[in-house]
Amino acid sequence: MDKAASANPAFRRYRRRFIPITAAYVAGIALATWLIPDKAPANFTTITIAALPGLAVIGWLWAMARMLIELDDEYLRLLEVRKAMVATGLTMGITSFWGILELFSPEVPKLPGFFVFPIWCLGLAVGQLVNRRTFGDSSGGCP
Amino acid sequence: MNNRLKVLRAERSWSQQDLAERLGVSRQSVNAIETGKYDPSLPLAFRIADLFEESIEAIFVRD
Repeated sequence: MDKAASANPAFRRYRRRFIPITAAYVAGIALATWLIPDKAPANFTTITIAALPGLAVIGWLWAMARMLIELDDEYLRLLEVRKAMVATGLTMGITSFWGILELFSPEVPKLPGFFVFPIWCLGLAVGQLVNRRTFGDSSGGCP
Repeated sequence: MNNRLKVLRAERSWSQQDLAERLGVSRQSVNAIETGKYDPSLPLAFRIADLFEESIEAIFVRD
């Protein structure tokens, strides 16, 4: 994305929302690693700590939705939507493929549900590459 | 869809950035429209037509 496009107020507001949400996500994961022992019971503390990254992911999606609503440049909006569609398609494809393998092949390692969102983020990076390859343009980062 | 945007812009000695600012869009948008990679929505096509004081069909032509 060139400087003029990244200066769009919608992108600026998105970046402002993105920072505290990311901090909450990282804090949630750090707290879980620090406070929840292996094979911990799903009690109130465990569920509360685990809810923090989940809420942050909802926050990220909200911030992206706000950005799409506030973005007044239809072409930049198209690039963002394409990026999200590529990410969603890749995530659905990978998790469906791996899910079927898990169901029928016990020797395949289990993919924790936690990794669905990081896979989607990687998908956004792939979507950015697809935009660059097909349109010669790309836009924002993950997520 | 083909368009005469580049010619119209050149006649006025406007850069893509100049045109983008006049239309209230990004330079990337102007470039994508000019090169035919992106067809603008009807409201944006009207804004372009109004800016150049031409009709939409005089600027945008079918392949």
